[in-house]
Amino acid sequence: MFDVFIDQFWQLTFSGISLGFIYVLIALGYTMVYGVLRMINFANSEIFMWGTFGAIVASRDLFKYTQTSDPVTGPKLVLVLVVQLFAAMAFAGLVAVLVEFVAYRRLRARGTNRLATLISAIGMSIVLSEVMRLLTASRPVGSPRILEKIILTEIWGAQIRLDTLITILAAGAIFIILERFVKLSRMGKAIRAVSMNEDAAKLMGINLNRVITVTFLVGGLATGAAAFFYVTVYEYTKFNIGFTMGLAAFTAAVLGGIGNIRGAFFGGIALGLAEVYAASILGTQWKSVTIFIILVLVLLFKPSGLFGEAVTQTRA
Amino acid sequence: MKNFNLRDFGAGIWERANRPQRVAIAISAIVLASLMPFAGGSFLATPIAAYDAVLVYPVAIFVLMSLGLNIVVGKSGMLDLGYVAFFAIGAYTMGFLGMHTSLNTWEIMPIGIGLAMLAGVLLGIPTLRLRGDYLAIVTLGFGEIIRIVALNVSWTNGPNGISGIPMPPDLGPIKFRLDDQKGFYWIVLVMILLTIWMIRRLSVRRPGRAWEAIRQDEDAAELMGVPTFKYKMWSFTLGAAVGGAAGVLYGSKNLFIAPEMFTLNVSILILACVVFGGIGNIWGVIVGGVVLGYLPDRIRFISDARLLVFGLVLIVVMNFRPDGLLPRKKREKAIVKKGADA
Amino acid sequence: MNKKIKASAAIVAALALSLGAFAATSASAATKTYTLAYQGPLSGGEASTGTDEQNGVKYAIKVWEAANPGIKINLVSVDDEGDPAVASKVAPGVGANKKIIGLVGPAYSGATIASLPYYKAGNLTVISPSATRVSLTDPKSPTVKSDYGRPIFHRVVATDDKQGPALAKFATKGIASAKVFVFDDQSSYAVPLRGYVEAAIKKISTASLVGTGDSVINTTTDYSPTIAKIKTSGANVVIYTGYYSAAAIFIKQLRDSGSTAVFAGGDGVFNQEFAKLAGKSGEGALLTGVAGLADVDATIEADFKAKIGVSSGVYAVESIDAANIFLSGIKNGKTTRAAMNKWVKAYNFKGIAGATIKFNQHGDISEGGFAGFLVTGGKLVNKGPVA
Repeated sequence: MFDVFIDQFWQLTFSGISLGFIYVLIALGYTMVYGVLRMINFANSEIFMWGTFGAIVASRDLFKYTQTSDPVTGPKLVLVLVVQLFAAMAFAGLVAVLVEFVAYRRLRARGTNRLATLISAIGMSIVLSEVMRLLTASRPVGSPRILEKIILTEIWGAQIRLDTLITILAAGAIFIILERFVKLSRMGKAIRAVSMNEDAAKLMGINLNRVITVTFLVGGLATGAAAFFYVTVYEYTKFNIGFTMGLAAFTAAVLGGIGNIRGAFFGGIALGLAEVYAASILGTQWKSVTIFIILVLVLLFKPSGLFGEAVTQTRA
Repeated sequence: MKNFNLRDFGAGIWERANRPQRVAIAISAIVLASLMPFAGGSFLATPIAAYDAVLVYPVAIFVLMSLGLNIVVGKSGMLDLGYVAFFAIGAYTMGFLGMHTSLNTWEIMPIGIGLAMLAGVLLGIPTLRLRGDYLAIVTLGFGEIIRIVALNVSWTNGPNGISGIPMPPDLGPIKFRLDDQKGFYWIVLVMILLTIWMIRRLSVRRPGRAWEAIRQDEDAAELMGVPTFKYKMWSFTLGAAVGGAAGVLYGSKNLFIAPEMFTLNVSILILACVVFGGIGNIWGVIVGGVVLGYLPDRIRFISDARLLVFGLVLIVVMNFRPDGLLPRKKREKAIVKKGADA
Repeated sequence: MNKKIKASAAIVAALALSLGAFAATSASAATKTYTLAYQGPLSGGEASTGTDEQNGVKYAIKVWEAANPGIKINLVSVDDEGDPAVASKVAPGVGANKKIIGLVGPAYSGATIASLPYYKAGNLTVISPSATRVSLTDPKSPTVKSDYGRPIFHRVVATDDKQGPALAKFATKGIASAKVFVFDDQSSYAVPLRGYVEAAIKKISTASLVGTGDSVINTTTDYSPTIAKIKTSGANVVIYTGYYSAAAIFIKQLRDSGSTAVFAGGDGVFNQEFAKLAGKSGEGALLTGVAGLADVDATIEADFKAKIGVSSGVYAVESIDAANIFLSGIKNGKTTRAAMNKWVKAYNFKGIAGATIKFNQHGDISEGGFAGFLVTGGKLVNKGPVA
């Protein structure tokens, strides 16, 4: 039972961390919106899915790479990857703003119940995934291989692969940038002010609509960046991939303490590791069961997640 | 007519009516509902899917489950995203006992309900102390766990599912036939009426008042001496019981169950019925179940864009009628609004 | 407009209407219309399979209508989303619609089992191009009461218990000591097939099962735990029972991890899309399946593309064969459900792939097995039948 776990421990750990970093960025999408609206953004999984298509559209339609073309090298590689990253972030960011505009804005202005908003967001996520399904005729879409997946080195038997290493470093960097943005920038302060107390923030002259749009945008950009890494590592997307990734990332956000940006970080990494460990010990089919049981146990002892809702402790 | 509110209009008629009039209204509503299977020739007919089958599942079973979920979400304000778990437990109880014992549907029904309630208690003990969205994700996880267990253990026959589940034996004049599903419809209708009766009885008594208090402000309710945990548990297990009953009927009607029938989508769809129709209001929830159960099959002719239209309908209706098609009474709503922002 | 003109306008309109109606009746007197149905996933996540199959049926009808002027075929699309829950909702309607005299499908075994009771009750003959679950035609299966489709169920595709040994044999051929790791995607197609593969591996003297295997639901895209298991087990052959898109994701990750183990998959993986999605990593993969339309006859494939507008997809040959059985029945005047059932039971002609199609008493075709394919240069190259 544990032989694989012991034999491949470092390999599993490395894979889990790189998967975890993708979760971190998606979890950021959930947590940002939750922080200001106290609302699960059910459409975030579809924002992610649209982001993956953004990355593929860039490499396939803009740079005209195909499934059989050779991996890109040299300065052009950097260019293509950066364009892909921006395309994914742009797609996801735009869709996120659209979600806010269509599914949230009117309901929020009327100050009505949260469940109506939840259903409206669910409706939006159905629409987003169905539109993509019709556009792609329900077929999976492969991504051309842009980045050669070189095994750089082996540490304790774990292969350090270029794509996963880039994911960890770049996703980490993007996370830090966003975290600093929320912490230090004027807009970030406004976001935190709104998440602490909406009414007071409004009285202080903060443009609520703008802040919320920006929050969705930032969440969407983070989710879009995750989509880019996902495409680079797995080279695949389909209209229905959002659900699984979204659910895992959402769980990660709750695990860390939803609404808390650092919580999203630790929750994401913890979830990535828990997934690969559980899958190697119990079998992949029990992966999600294990995760939910861990989640319930954590919530039993820390009802607001590992790091609590630190952005605003008060839920008043 | 600016302030016209269908719900208040309907409630007004009911309140102004005297006892015989109320009986007359109730009886005519029941008669009308039970005659629905005969309206298959009219504009109500569903293309491709058989009208009488659609009437049983999804329509009537959705209504039944929505009523059950409404006890949890609408009455006591707990967001449950794993309602499908109880439905699955009921269906698998029916499937397993129906195949391995000589018990019939009506004998399995109390067992299925009992097991669903037990699952509700077991899930409720650790989780009902959680609030709001944390409860939502834990229940969601529970729903997934039940499905994954059904997929991976051998006595459920794994992904192959259980086929050949026996049909219910005839109940007097109500006959159960494959090519004529009216019997099933009437039985589900009876269960719906029982559930409505139960909810109405409870709503005006102590549990109903306790739920109302919990929904509006749990802390205040606790301070006022309402044993919130106990009443939350009651609402949770009653909801589970209705879900389990729906599951037993579904298994017996469908003759075949497999884990893929019990995905998160079902939970979300039922929640959508509740909110769409009018959370907290029995009649609204019924309307929600009927509309969202019936609509996808009625619009089958737009085949491929069906779900897209469904999603658009959810967005539009929620944006323009956020309290649902038939909202709950204004008095209850006004207090909630204050409470929701708190 | 005064009254007179109004009245005359009404008369003209009425005349035009009755003329139109007359024209319509005379037209329908000349052409007879019969109704067939196709059932499979036409929306939802599995829609591409159903669309491909239905295109095959449409093509067969087009060709047949051109050869038989005066008879029109009305094809009812029955969308079950590949989902048994949906199937049990639509099947009662199809079973009760007596106009439908034959049904191609259902595409998936789960949906078939959910639909069968209603078709048995209505004596509607069905021919599935792709439902491979053994119990559907197995009188000895433990679920025989419910799954066994006789007398209405037929299929023009070979079953999982034939494919399992073929896949095991093909995957381990030419390897002196094959250490085989088998995993599935938890679907109702893959789990039983994995059982047949494992049983067959145990019977091959030069092959043995290693590791614990794995079950990875097909919405997963990270296969690192599975790859860790493969590495620990020291397997040199990996067999996957599941579908092509997940297989493509997996094989890329396996190759990127530096593994050179042989990869083999069943007819779920057997799809041109697999080679496309997997790219270079897919090279050398061994697949069992039945030859596609382009492989069987390039001229028919060209005609298909001209008539339908897209290339043929999975199970195109089977879908065309299944439709042709019903169409030839209509041509021979079998226009009731009962007559059609007799026709299908006695059917004995060649299919478009050249093999004779004849059903045994359980509804299986007597001929037809699996061929082995090798992915080379992004193409699935036929290596001949695996016997």
